[in-house]
Amino acid sequence: MKIILETKAVTKVYRAGKVDVLALRGIDLRAHQGEFVAIMGPSGCGKSTLLHILGGLTTPTSGEVWIDGVNVSALSDAARTRVRRDKIGFVFQRFNLLPTMTAQGNLEIARHIHGNGSGAMQLQSSQEVLRVLGLEHKLRSKPLEMSGGEQQRVALARAVINRPSILLADEPTGNLDSENSQLVLKMLQELNTKFTQTIILITHNPEVAAVAHRLVEMRDGRIVDRAQDVSYTAVEESFL
Amino acid sequence: MIVANILHRPMRTFVSVVAVAIQVTLVLLVVGITTWMRVDSAKRQEGIGADIMFRPPNAQLLWLTGAPMSVKFKEVLERVEGVKVAAPVLIQTTTSGGLSQIFGIDLPSYSALSGGFNYLRGGPFEEALDVLVDDLHARNNKLRVGDQIDVLNHKFRVCGIVEHGKGARVFVPLATLQDLMGAVDKTSVFYIKAKDPNETDAVVQRIKAIPELRDYSVISIKEYLSQITNATIPALNTFIDVMIFIACLIGFLVIYLSMYTTITERTREIGILKSLGASKLFIVDAILREALLLTILGILLGLGFTFLAKRVITTTLPTLSVLITTAWVVRASLLAVLAGVLGGFYPSLRAASQDPIAALSYE
Ligand SMILES: Nc1ncnc2c1ncn2[C@@H]1O[C@H](COP(=O)(O)OP(=O)(O)OP(=O)(O)O)[C@@H](O)[C@H]1O
Ligand SMILES: [Mg+2]
Repeated sequence: MKIILETKAVTKVYRAGKVDVLALRGIDLRAHQGEFVAIMGPSGCGKSTLLHILGGLTTPTSGEVWIDGVNVSALSDAARTRVRRDKIGFVFQRFNLLPTMTAQGNLEIARHIHGNGSGAMQLQSSQEVLRVLGLEHKLRSKPLEMSGGEQQRVALARAVINRPSILLADEPTGNLDSENSQLVLKMLQELNTKFTQTIILITHNPEVAAVAHRLVEMRDGRIVDRAQDVSYTAVEESFL
Repeated sequence: MIVANILHRPMRTFVSVVAVAIQVTLVLLVVGITTWMRVDSAKRQEGIGADIMFRPPNAQLLWLTGAPMSVKFKEVLERVEGVKVAAPVLIQTTTSGGLSQIFGIDLPSYSALSGGFNYLRGGPFEEALDVLVDDLHARNNKLRVGDQIDVLNHKFRVCGIVEHGKGARVFVPLATLQDLMGAVDKTSVFYIKAKDPNETDAVVQRIKAIPELRDYSVISIKEYLSQITNATIPALNTFIDVMIFIACLIGFLVIYLSMYTTITERTREIGILKSLGASKLFIVDAILREALLLTILGILLGLGFTFLAKRVITTTLPTLSVLITTAWVVRASLLAVLAGVLGGFYPSLRAASQDPIAALSYE
């Protein structure tokens, strides 16, 4: 299986007033197509920063990020935005649905930005996606009229509706009760197995991490203990 | 998305739309009223029935007033070949009840110009302190025949009400006005009627050729009217331009402020759009469309306001109207669109250049 994502010695320095915060101190990470990677680590170790860099929402201070064979860190802002549009789907802890729009509207705007399908086709496929998610009856609901679990499922649908190469999820179950967490996890797994969706997921919850093929642990802006991960080699081999 | 957004804050949308509507209304009313006044005044000049205007040297194009000429020129002018009648008119401008003119006329010669007044009520002057008013002036001031009115601080009796369209709206006997103005045997202008209107230009040339009238201004009414544009009225165009500029400034500022608050309030949403891969152009476009939609709603409302205002003006003030031309409707709309797009431009750029991560963590 091909390598869909790779970082080479990525660092990130935030300038907070006069102090430099070293959020990432040299990250080398690889993910194959179809891989499900969980990232864990204490608060403030740089997990979200890494995810934002992978998705091109910000640039590394040094190092390279390769997405699907393209060195994203060398691209202009506009070109990076295009890579994000075409190849990346984001899911956040805070759902981040557009509050003035319905569930269906949120899916359609993602399609519209991506620029695929005609209006009628978009409508049909948005409705289909929501049906698959068991959210048919929420088609016309706005985010405030939905539960957290429902919102996150819509957000997940929005993230994958354009079939991105990589799904980046930052604590997607962080705001959900265990029942809804289970639902969302099941959907992630399904996406991964049925559609060989590559997933990079940040979590604080070991149970969530257990669903992944591989666990990456971070501490102080570095990846630690990779060799100790028993399942790592097995998974790696299964992809080769 | 755009419609959802403008419905999200109905009050803000309402205020922006009304501001644009005021912009459009202001432009159309200012232009419409001044244009109407010009056209109306030209029509009334035409209605006098004269072919030629004879004025003192250096006469102002528009506001003839004062009494700088001797009425004795009447004989000189009427001796010119082709002249049927030369009617002296003494003009006094008053500011009571708005800027208007009072004509002091010699009724027989003035009537000879157009074939005479059409008396709707009453009849010609009988006494020195008689006044003729036109029907619109009468309606405006609720006047009837026999009423006493103040003209130049003297009590006059309304002796007749005439159909409008023949020069001024208020007429008094020439001699009376000469007395009141202390201008015995003086006149402001002669209106001249040619025996054959087709001969007008030839008559003008003949009058110009008279040595003792050499410095005086002779002009055919046709040419005179063609010279009256807004540009000939001192400072009017400047006034119109200033009003239009202020109107556009209102539209621009309100749309600017509205869109600026909108993008601040929606910082997070802009971050979300960016996380979905929306380009800067996409965001600029979305904000500008919203500004444009507000503007278009404002234009429609403004056109409604304008026609309503026109109705109110014409029903309450018979001597005033608003001339709304398609060209100015288009121009006022385009100005509103321009102001709206400019107003939305900086906010849209600001929104587009927001840092997505900061925007996503905005509360
Ligand atoms: N915009 C910023 N300016 C300055 N410092 C920042 C900024 N964003 C993050 N940091 C710092 O960078 C470090 C890594 O932050 P990051 O958000 O990546 O951590 P995290 O692992 O996602 O934490 P958590 O588990 O709490 O979400 C932290 O020390 C944080 O304070
Ligand atoms: Mg985080």
